[in-house]
Amino acid sequence: MTFVVRLVLALAFIVPLGAASLHAQTFGPSGPGGGAGKPTPGADKPAPVPTPGPVFRPTTTDVTPPPAPPPTTAGADWGNSQVDVVYAEPQDPRFRPIRERLMRRQVLEQLRLFLSPLRLPRKLLVQVDQCNAEQRPYQPGGAVTICYEYIAKVAQLVPPTQQIGAPPPESMILGAVIQQVLHEVAIATFDILDIPVWGRERDAADKLAGFIMVQFGRDVALRVMVGAARYFELSERQWTQADFASEQAPEAQRFYNYLCIAIGADPATFRFLVDQNLMPQRRAQRCGNEFLSLRQAFVQQILPHVDVQLLKRVQSATWLMLDEPK
Amino acid sequence: MKPTPFRSMTSRFKMRCSKIVAALAVAAAALLVQTPESAAQPRPQELAANTRVIIDYIDPMLRFPRSQATLDRLRKRQVLEELSMFLSPLRLPRVLRIRTKSCGVVNAFYDRSEWAISLCYEFYEHLEQIAPQTTSPQGFTRDEVVVGGFIDAIFHELGHALFDILQVPVFGREEDAADQLSAFLMLQFGKDVARTTIKGAAFTYLNNRNPRSRAEYADEHGTDAQRFFNYLCLAYGGEPEAFRDFVDNGVLPKARADGCARENQLVRRAFAKTILPHIDVDLMKQVQSVRWLRPSDGRTSK
Ligand SMILES: [Zn+2]
Repeated sequence: MTFVVRLVLALAFIVPLGAASLHAQTFGPSGPGGGAGKPTPGADKPAPVPTPGPVFRPTTTDVTPPPAPPPTTAGADWGNSQVDVVYAEPQDPRFRPIRERLMRRQVLEQLRLFLSPLRLPRKLLVQVDQCNAEQRPYQPGGAVTICYEYIAKVAQLVPPTQQIGAPPPESMILGAVIQQVLHEVAIATFDILDIPVWGRERDAADKLAGFIMVQFGRDVALRVMVGAARYFELSERQWTQADFASEQAPEAQRFYNYLCIAIGADPATFRFLVDQNLMPQRRAQRCGNEFLSLRQAFVQQILPHVDVQLLKRVQSATWLMLDEPK
Repeated sequence: MKPTPFRSMTSRFKMRCSKIVAALAVAAAALLVQTPESAAQPRPQELAANTRVIIDYIDPMLRFPRSQATLDRLRKRQVLEELSMFLSPLRLPRVLRIRTKSCGVVNAFYDRSEWAISLCYEFYEHLEQIAPQTTSPQGFTRDEVVVGGFIDAIFHELGHALFDILQVPVFGREEDAADQLSAFLMLQFGKDVARTTIKGAAFTYLNNRNPRSRAEYADEHGTDAQRFFNYLCLAYGGEPEAFRDFVDNGVLPKARADGCARENQLVRRAFAKTILPHIDVDLMKQVQSVRWLRPSDGRTSK
């Protein structure tokens, strides 16, 4: 039996996946021999080669070693007691199967476990609800809401079988749903912890969500970050003048922002994004510094509100178990 | 526009006793009040320069002889001297260099490896060139474009510099953050200054060029249109009366306008928590009471 938090796994099966083969095609970095990205001469003053930003992990001097064997979710007593979760009954019967699947997979309960290291000074309600819109933005003091409509849209947009050059559908669904959950939780966290946010709030939420996604090792980062980015690509629409007044960023911008975090966190693993022209070299050069600055913000502003021992415990969990029997 | 082309790395992992600082900062934020403008406002010369700001008007490159006139004009107007006075409340942990120079491009820069802001003669000349002779069809005046546009370049780069030097946590995109700091500063000196500077900044993004290819969205700057709306939104959120016309005439769409008070509030909070602790509040109030802009500022003396 595989133990440990399986929010991600749970999310993978929220929507029917059709006959997607889990082993159809490897997606991700090519093996040795993949060409290095060429520098673009003269495009700009050369940025100093950023030191690969090591992903934030508490050092061993910060905490006692993680308990062995790793914690299980069965009867877990370490869920965040400040987080309440609700699967609201949708009026539209179309959403009922989604609700049942979420409940069966205990998605929100898993999220509660996942958020256990975060010390919140007040209760936070996280709910799935029918919104009659794709999103119901967080209001200060309010609840985090994931809309059945959003999950339904993800299921509808992601092709049931893997397309050439695209990640497997389950990665895109995972990425799309996890980024939405973490994005909304991030906005709530900024509000509840009264965190200073420079830059547009929704971009900041994307960056915090992305930062969290790259804290669980290479495989999780690959699936979730690339999956989320590719979902943005899939949902892209043409933006014209008045659209740019939106407080939300164009899908293409979000695509690049997520991938830039991935590259900044782990340049070796994500270099294929540059090699495959998914990320322009010019931006890629800056991702190391962007990531360092994001990590600095996290360490300064969020980490003081985090129980480092519990964080270590959550990080030690095995997260992506896509091959696990359904 | 206004990228930071060269961003050298610094090791920045200082932890802060953020709660106490935050409480003090919020208390001090209450002091960030508007000062009424009046003819009796003191001149900048009554303030001392910031001794940690080193200014320099660098001679233009020989191949850009035209820029000598720009340098002379900026020097005569004492732009950098007054900027140093403007920054007098700021307690800088290290020296900040601010210089005007030939860059070979229409831009402005902050260079992390030198802790230096470069304001390019080309950028000022560009503003003089795009500014309407008197008033543009959309109602932007020459003064607004030249003065506001140049102040925006200064404040935007100052944003990068402060984020770097003061190790300010920036969760969002830094380019947007620098625009926010610029807009926020513009709103601290009364309605007239706010109108001139915000409109000038917005004008530079008015005849905007939106991305023509998907890859252009990879730019770490927002699109011109996004930046245009960001400035107007922070302005309307902070000074609803002074900027209501942009909502009434539909330039700033209602859907965005409704959230602008909150957007402004978020920036105010970020400023109060991350930058205000580095500011001498008494001096800041003096700076706010000074008459910085003059009626002749937008005019070229040719
Ligand atoms: Zn910039």
